[in-house]
Amino acid sequence: MKVFEETLYDSVSQCFRIDKLYYESKTEHQHLMIFHNAFLGRVMTLDGIVQTTERDEFIYHEMMAHVPLLAHGGARDVLIIGGGDGAMLREVCRHPAVERIVMVEIDRQVIDLAKEYLPNHSAGAFEDPRLELVISDGMAFVKECEADRFDVIISDSTDPIGPGEVLFSDDFYRECRRILRPDGVMTTQNGVPFFQLDEVRDTRERMGRHFRDQTFYAAAVPTYHGGIMTFGWGSDDPALRQLPVETLAGRLAEAGFTTRYYTPEIHVASFALPRYVLDAIQ
Amino acid sequence: MNPQAKRPVRYGATPEEAAFYRDLVARHGSPLLVVSREALRRQYQSLQHQLPGVSLYYAIKAFPHPAVVETLAELGCHFDVASEGELELLRALRISGRKTIHTHPVKKVDQIKAALRGGSTTFVVDNLDELKKLTPWRHRVGVLLRVAFRSPSAAVDLSRKFGCLPEQAKALALEGQAAGFQVRGLSFHVGSQSTDPATHVAAIEACGRLIGEINREARHPLATLDIGGGFPVDYAQAGFDFDAYFAPIREALAALTDDLHLIAEPGRYLVAPAVRAVSTVIGKARRGDRQWYYLDDGIYGSYSGQLFDHAVYPLQVLRDDRPRHPAVLAGPTCDSIDVIAEGLELPELEEGDLVIGHLMGAYTAATSTRFNSLNAAKVVVVE
Repeated sequence: MKVFEETLYDSVSQCFRIDKLYYESKTEHQHLMIFHNAFLGRVMTLDGIVQTTERDEFIYHEMMAHVPLLAHGGARDVLIIGGGDGAMLREVCRHPAVERIVMVEIDRQVIDLAKEYLPNHSAGAFEDPRLELVISDGMAFVKECEADRFDVIISDSTDPIGPGEVLFSDDFYRECRRILRPDGVMTTQNGVPFFQLDEVRDTRERMGRHFRDQTFYAAAVPTYHGGIMTFGWGSDDPALRQLPVETLAGRLAEAGFTTRYYTPEIHVASFALPRYVLDAIQ
Repeated sequence: MNPQAKRPVRYGATPEEAAFYRDLVARHGSPLLVVSREALRRQYQSLQHQLPGVSLYYAIKAFPHPAVVETLAELGCHFDVASEGELELLRALRISGRKTIHTHPVKKVDQIKAALRGGSTTFVVDNLDELKKLTPWRHRVGVLLRVAFRSPSAAVDLSRKFGCLPEQAKALALEGQAAGFQVRGLSFHVGSQSTDPATHVAAIEACGRLIGEINREARHPLATLDIGGGFPVDYAQAGFDFDAYFAPIREALAALTDDLHLIAEPGRYLVAPAVRAVSTVIGKARRGDRQWYYLDDGIYGSYSGQLFDHAVYPLQVLRDDRPRHPAVLAGPTCDSIDVIAEGLELPELEEGDLVIGHLMGAYTAATSTRFNSLNAAKVVVVE
C-alpha cells in the first residue's frame, strides 16, 4: 500500500493513503504529487508537504478571500499572489463588485496541472473575463507595479522554505503596502502556529513594520495538521477588522453567494487569538 | 597512498568468471565498475544480523549511485545524507526525506533549507554556532549532537575534524533544549575502516553514560544514539573475523537502556564488497628489472581511494601462468603518481588482458577525477 508521509516536522507526521496516483513530477528539483484519497478526494503535495485537498480546501480559500473582501466592502481591484490551483481565484470571482483580478503565479505548470487534475478547485474561474493572469515571480511583480493599484492583496504562498520564501520577506510586505490603496487590506497564509510559532513572530515583525494595523486571524484547516492556522492581516485602518456582524451579513447578502465555512460570526470571531499566539507576537 | 603496500593478488579465474568479465567488457567497454545488487543485499542483511535493532542509514557519499540507493531502499534501508546533491538523488528515486538524517556537522544555511525542502529534518551538530543556524526552524527539526572519540585503529580518523568533547555534550544538550530545540540524542563517528571494535565499544559506553547524565537534568530525555559507521571490510583478504569484530559492539549496545533508538551510518561495509573494478592492460614496457603494465583506470579514476581513503584493494589477474615476474601496475594518466601497485609478482600479461579490483565500492568512483580529460569508469549494474 502506498502512503504519503508528510515531512514538515521531525517528531510528528501525518500520513495519507494514496488510493490512486494521478500525477507525479519527474524533475529532480521538486517533487509534486496529485493523488486520490478515499476520504480527502484529490490531494496535491509539494516536496513532502500537503498543499491542498478537495475535502477541506473550502475552509482555507473562503477564509482567505471573503474575510478581507467583505471587511473592505468596496474592493474593485484584487491581487492574488500564487494560488496556482485556482481556488482562491474562484472565491474572489464570487464577489460581483470586484472588477479586476490580477493573479501572479510563478509556475505555469501548476496552473495547467490544476486545471487537469484539480478541476474542482478553479471550477471554471480561469475563464472569468475579469482575470488578468501573469506568469511571473510575485516579488518582481509587486516591485514593478505602480503605487495605489489594489484594494485587496491575497498572498496564497507555499511554505516559506523554497521559492515561497521571498513572499515572507520585509521587502515583499513593503512593496505590497505601497501598491495597496490607503484603505486597502492584505492577507497572507501564515502556517500552523502550534508547530511554527516562529513564523507568526517573524511575520509580526516584518509585516508589522509596514502596516499600522497588523494582526492575524485563524481557522482550522484539518489537513494543515496541528490545529488552527493563522492568516496574516495588514491594513492601515484598525476599524476594518472590527466591523459588526450585521455589517458583514449585509455585505454578504448583497454579494449574493452562499458559503460552506465562512459566516459573519466566524469572521468576527476569527480575530480572537489564543494566548500562546498573543504572547508570541507581543 | 602506498603502491608498495602488501596487497593480496588472486591469480587465475574460473572459466565462468573470466567469461563474465570478458562479456561485460565486450558489451560495455572498459574500464568498468560492476555493481552487484545481490552482493549489496547480502551485505545489508549481514549487517542487520550483526547489529540487530539498529536502523541502518547508508552513507550515500561512499558510492552515490541510483542503483545502490534503490536496491538498499527496497530492503528498508535509510540514508545518511550530507549534501543537497545526495538529497536530489533520493528525490529522483522518490525516496522520502523522512528516511534520512543529515549528518554533516557544518552546513551552509542554504543547505539547511534544501534539506528541509527534501524532507530531511534530523540534523547533526557539534557546537552552539551550528545549532543557532537552525534557529528559524527549531520547532521543525530534530538534533543529534556529535561527540568526538579518537580512534587510533581507524584508517581515517573522523574525530579530529568533527565532534564536541564528551564533557561539552551536556551543556550543549541543555542549552539546545533551553533554546527550544528538540535535542534527540548523541552521535559519534569513530572513523572509517576501523578494525578494532574497542573504540566503538568505548564510545557506545561513554555515550550511554552521557545520555544517562544528561537525562537526569534535561527537560526532554535524549532517546537516540547514532553509532556512526566505520565498520571494516577485509581488504587484506586475511580471513577477517567479522563475528568476533561485531560481538563486543553488539554487547555494548545490549547493555544500554532498552528504550534508545539506535542508528548506524554504514557506507563502506555495505557497498565495498558489492563493486568490482574491471580494467584493461593498454600498454606495457620493460623498465629495469620490472615489467610495467599500463591500465585504462588508475589513481585519478576508480583507484582514487588509494590516495584519499588509504585503501589497498585486492587485485586479480585472469592468468595463472608461470613464471611470475616483478611487475608494476600503472594508471592511464601522464602523472607519475598514477601508479596502482608496485612490487607485484605477475605472470606475463598481454595488451587487452583484464585486471580486476575487488572490494571497490566505497570511496572509489565517489572521489575519481576527470584528470587528463579521461572518462570515468562506466558503472554497470548486475544482479
